[in-house]
Amino acid sequence: MLDGIFTGLSTAVMPFNLLMVVVGCFAGTFIGMLPGLGPISAVALMIPITYGLDPSSGIILMAGVYYGAVFGGSTSSILINAPGCASTVVTAFDGYPLAQQNQAGKALALAAYSSFTGGTVGALALLFAAPALAKVSLSFQSTDYFALMILGLTAVAAFSGKGQVLKALLMTVFGLMIATVGTDTTSGATRFTFGSIDLIDGVSFLLLAMATFALTEVVMTVLKGEHREEEEQVDMSKLGSMKLSREEIKEVAPTIGRSSVFGFLVGVLPGAGATIASFLAYGLERNLASAKEKLKFGKGSLRGLAAPESANNAASTGSFVPLLTLGIPGSGTTAIMLGALIAYGIQPGPRLFLDHPDVFWSVIISMYFGNLVLLILNLPLIPYISKLLVIPRPILIPMILFFSITGVYLVSFNTFDIQMMVVITVIAIFLKLLEFPMAPMLLGYILGGLMETNLSRALVISDGSLAFLWERPLTLAIISIAVIVLVVPPLLDLVRNRNRTRGPEVAVNEGEG
Amino acid sequence: MIITKDHIGGMGFLLLSAFYGYYAGDIPLLPGDEFEPFHARTVPYALAILGGVISLALLLTAERKAEKRLRLNNYDFALVAKLLVLIVIFGLALEWIGFLLATVLFLIAGFWLLGERRTKMLLMVSVPFAVGIWFILAKLLDIYLAPGQLFVQLFGG
Repeated sequence: MLDGIFTGLSTAVMPFNLLMVVVGCFAGTFIGMLPGLGPISAVALMIPITYGLDPSSGIILMAGVYYGAVFGGSTSSILINAPGCASTVVTAFDGYPLAQQNQAGKALALAAYSSFTGGTVGALALLFAAPALAKVSLSFQSTDYFALMILGLTAVAAFSGKGQVLKALLMTVFGLMIATVGTDTTSGATRFTFGSIDLIDGVSFLLLAMATFALTEVVMTVLKGEHREEEEQVDMSKLGSMKLSREEIKEVAPTIGRSSVFGFLVGVLPGAGATIASFLAYGLERNLASAKEKLKFGKGSLRGLAAPESANNAASTGSFVPLLTLGIPGSGTTAIMLGALIAYGIQPGPRLFLDHPDVFWSVIISMYFGNLVLLILNLPLIPYISKLLVIPRPILIPMILFFSITGVYLVSFNTFDIQMMVVITVIAIFLKLLEFPMAPMLLGYILGGLMETNLSRALVISDGSLAFLWERPLTLAIISIAVIVLVVPPLLDLVRNRNRTRGPEVAVNEGEG
Repeated sequence: MIITKDHIGGMGFLLLSAFYGYYAGDIPLLPGDEFEPFHARTVPYALAILGGVISLALLLTAERKAEKRLRLNNYDFALVAKLLVLIVIFGLALEWIGFLLATVLFLIAGFWLLGERRTKMLLMVSVPFAVGIWFILAKLLDIYLAPGQLFVQLFGG
């Protein structure tokens, strides 16, 4: 393991890779700050750039952007009460009231310290958890992989929120259907191309990711008329001091510690991710607080700000565990990174840390650097970076559209891809209006090909019988977890609804936490 | 009868699954493949069935609440349609008039559609931005950007 850490360290400290961390953090912070654009869009916008880099540098850049975007989202949550992404919605609960009390500087600093601690705890845990899990998963066979992919896909659906499970499952199936378009890798047969030469290679990952996450997100802001809203001018004189008193540090230190560990564990679960971690950590902290402190939550509580900030960064790191060790992404953003790795010809999974130790370890090490960059460089520069928020939307939106389109065009030099992007964007807009989540579709698309290969192998080995699903204990265990993950939440909802209809005395805590 | 977003979505996916399943039958198989446990149609058929079953489940369990109705009156569809048409035209323009000119025109049209009317602003942002990007791509990164076919036909290659 020590060898690996040194390999990673030597790759990560290469000047170019360090530059990628810095550039990634800055670009991520800026994109993350823009309301409507979150880490997924930020990482998607980076894909074309990473195509020209070697795998380690590319993934390091993406990881930096991911971190930066989560941090940038917190900044806009605190300063203008407009969360850049879902995982920083909770940050606004207490961050914005603090800014209104002329303590924006303190809130930003606390957010940065909490993010740093969360990210550091996450990176350390990843350092130990990932190789251990990877070693265990080396014994996995194709049946286990197939089961794992089922688990990954069902988990994303199960964690997608109340009343959204069926919609998320449908989107997963939709993603799997898109993955079947083009030439079948095993038989060579063309599927669903309808005679078009442009579809023989299938729908490209880059095109799908850019259309659904970059283009659609920007177009949605236009659709909702948000481009007309003038962003509040951030008054730098009202930022206040960035220093925390000793008492305040004492007050938030246990919260940050608890939420970091908690956030990491939630992040490791496939499908859970940073948003759920931040909501759960906020709820947990409020439940742990004394009755008097509880009243402060939502009105500018430091603990209420520290908890989600530590948890979302720790969870962002945690979501790399299933990606790097099992090849199963823990969130939409890591799903895009999985796609990028596959495009490099690297198969993430247990063999990653044996076959490509430089990629495996340098990503982990550079995550730590990413945290440092956010704390040392980004925090003092926040007053200046936030000035970019003032760029008028009518100028900014066409530029982001341009980057999304040319990002795809410059890889294929085929204008058919631009038309295809528009078609996918139109479909994605209607799906979003119908409240269908997009991340499960991308996950289904990315895992579709791998799943088909593993299923085919498993079926051929077992001579067409589905018995492989329950004959191997490990496969059975993973499939059972998938079933539990999928069935338990709706059942709990059902029980809760029944209790509620039985009597009004059953109080269900459904506050903003 | 209230038709909600879930009903529309469920119906859409049910139709998609039926369409997908129908066309899965057109996938060519290798001789003898039909006796194999796994072939090119296996996964498409399974997905069509799965999609159909989940769509039906969504249709049957959808809540009939008025607030879940699809409301489209607060959205600016006309502007989005114009932007998307602009993107398609940009795609065609890339082939005909080349990267640099197409980018400048795309940006000017985009700014204008979104409400920016100052001529100075339209030019001051789009031209330096497009030239800057063109310079990075063509000169620094050495990416070949084909000249527009129009110029090739007019002035020769």
